[in-house]
Amino acid sequence: MKFSVIKQRSLWWSISAAIILAGIVSMAISWTRPDIRAPLRPSLDFIGGTRLQFELDCTKPENCKPIDIAAVREVLDAQGLAGSSIQVIGQEQRGLSLRTKTLDVEQRTNLQTALSEKIGVFAPQSTQIDTVGPTLGKQLFTSGLLALFLSFAGITVYLTFRFQLDYAFFAFVALFHDVLVTLGVFSFLGLVQGVEVDSLFVVALLTIIGFSVNDTVVIYDRVREIIKLNPGQSIDQIVDDAVMQTMGRSINTTFATLLTLFSIFLFGGETLKYFALALIVGFIAGAYSSIFIASTLLAWWRSRTAHSIPVPAEGINQSEEV
Amino acid sequence: MQKQRSILALIFVLIIAAITVIVTIPTRLGLDLQGGSQLTIQVKTTPTIPKIDQGMLEAVRRIVENRVNGLGVSEALVQTVGEDQILVQLPGVNDPQQAERVLGGTAKLEFLEQLPGTETQLAIERQLQQELLVKQEELKISPNEAAIKENQAALKRSNDAIAKLFKSTGLGGENLKDAQPQPLAAGNNWNVALVFDTKGGELFAQLTKNLAGTGRSIGIFLDERMISSPVVGVEFAQAGITGGSAVIQGNFTTQEANDLAVQLRGGALPVPVEIVENRTIGASLGKDSIQSSINAGIGGLVLVLIFMVAYYRLPGVIANIALLIYALLTWAAFVLLGVTLTLPGIAGFVLSIGMAVDANVLIFERTREELRAGKSLYRSVESGFYRAFSSILDGNVTTVIACVALFWLGAGLVKGFAVTLGLGVVVSMFSAITCSRTLLLVVLSFPALRKPQWFCPNLSKTANS
Repeated sequence: MKFSVIKQRSLWWSISAAIILAGIVSMAISWTRPDIRAPLRPSLDFIGGTRLQFELDCTKPENCKPIDIAAVREVLDAQGLAGSSIQVIGQEQRGLSLRTKTLDVEQRTNLQTALSEKIGVFAPQSTQIDTVGPTLGKQLFTSGLLALFLSFAGITVYLTFRFQLDYAFFAFVALFHDVLVTLGVFSFLGLVQGVEVDSLFVVALLTIIGFSVNDTVVIYDRVREIIKLNPGQSIDQIVDDAVMQTMGRSINTTFATLLTLFSIFLFGGETLKYFALALIVGFIAGAYSSIFIASTLLAWWRSRTAHSIPVPAEGINQSEEV
Repeated sequence: MQKQRSILALIFVLIIAAITVIVTIPTRLGLDLQGGSQLTIQVKTTPTIPKIDQGMLEAVRRIVENRVNGLGVSEALVQTVGEDQILVQLPGVNDPQQAERVLGGTAKLEFLEQLPGTETQLAIERQLQQELLVKQEELKISPNEAAIKENQAALKRSNDAIAKLFKSTGLGGENLKDAQPQPLAAGNNWNVALVFDTKGGELFAQLTKNLAGTGRSIGIFLDERMISSPVVGVEFAQAGITGGSAVIQGNFTTQEANDLAVQLRGGALPVPVEIVENRTIGASLGKDSIQSSINAGIGGLVLVLIFMVAYYRLPGVIANIALLIYALLTWAAFVLLGVTLTLPGIAGFVLSIGMAVDANVLIFERTREELRAGKSLYRSVESGFYRAFSSILDGNVTTVIACVALFWLGAGLVKGFAVTLGLGVVVSMFSAITCSRTLLLVVLSFPALRKPQWFCPNLSKTANS
């Protein structure tokens, strides 16, 4: 029995539509939440603010004990920073992560001194400070978005040039699919887990685009080749064959890449964790969309418009010579 | 065979060169890996300077650089970004607060001469200012923002009123040769000792001569705010205070005196600046994340290597050798091009390994197809490379397009990722196509290794070798 992607295309399309729809619903819910007010929970990279991370200095005697979150809240309230997010981190509850509005040097020093008095001395070697002004945050956001659109456009133009406009268009649809799926998953994670998206997330989206179009291109390349070899065949058959012939490669490549990504997700540093997760989601979506969406859409479109590529007669001989 | 031998020789030379480069030149680690502060300074316009041009930005950069040097941070980096921003990287700095204070202040120093007949007025205004300052300290710990704002406005009004009682003398920060913090004999207070250049010395002598014994004071203003108002004794009425040095008494703490001295030595900024971004990561945090990321990267890579051999057999072994060569060459390229390795950079590198694997997978899958179609081993390998090429090229070009977009529009960390991924993709084209191909063809020249089942398991018996 031969597996056919074309036959069950409505199933593939429904799966994708359902996932994307769920993502959009999640983004809508996220938008209405007063603490988020955006489709995805933005980190301070995009909206500005200050994040401080401290760890108690355990080399000093009597200094190291679990941090009392109520005491921290008291200090913050006294500093006029009520409403900031406070998190006690680390297995022994010795770390503290604060997220406040943008603080200048003086405000930050005051806060740090007040905290040290109440909680204990912090180790400078494991202190982390991130402050992003609101205007810079906006700037980072727009430049990220612009980079996204620019690469969308660049890839579409390149594919139009290398293949044809309809190939490029459906590759674009597949890319959009991958980005939407990833956005949806992270919107959901933002709702339930408080996961924030930062500028690394934009990087991840761009990488997903670059990678998953790669998958689509390999299948298209095969479609084009089979059309040259068998100009008379139905487009459905051609696409089915192309997908089947490249399936091994698609699975293996995605699998190999996912091996490293999972390793980074599980064992890498905290910073790269969600970056790796975004890539994992995006690459899986990318492999899926290349096999089940970009190809089936192309077949559907071509058979609907009853349009096939004129093939030069010598094309057949050329391929066989190799 | 001759051609392959020379390519083999070339690959060998490249490997040796890469190893030499990696061993001799240290890899530059980003601040997120070694710890340190990264500050983005926004240069702001004023009514008198409505537009920041390149010359202005460069002037600000030079002053900021002077101040950074004053902080004594080694290997600091100060560069202009875009049209009106300056990026400062301070590796290993353990007092980001000080860096921020010192870099953010304008440090415009002025020596003014009090106008005759304003003595009482000054005394009243100074008293008012002191009260406001005390109130400001009290307000600071309360969350009442409106009251703080109001007090600040009152302070500004009082300061402006004081400034009106003085006239310009032309003596300012630009006439300084040196500035040093100086401890007072008693208590914790510090002064800042100044040394003027020749012109500054003359101006100061003139100023002190004018004021000596009159009871009027010298107004020392920093960023248009009065910090002290000393009176000159009558004994200087003849020639003024000569010798070209002066002391600012401002009840400074050690910290404040130090900061001010650094700022004054570095020079005054022509326009106000604001620190819009500060990313500081402690040294041990950086070390932790580099260690775990490297471990994860190596772990992932090893899994990929195992997978390649398990699935692709002999070609898998060759692909692995090509992958290792790839990793060496890319690393050497980073070092040679002075790419600063950041956490996202490492991620980009790991991903480009994925790209390199993909190219090999494409080729071997093709080779298998050709073998199944009954072609000879040699021909199958050859056409595997030939036919996979267009897919590899298209896939890599699209990735490079995304990298270019990132590099062009991204900032800081994002740029590092774009560079490493882009560079990796380019090198992977070389390693997958040239290295794998040459090594495979060399292997095929040994009859003992020319076994199709080592290239494609479960090959049907009908296929000939």
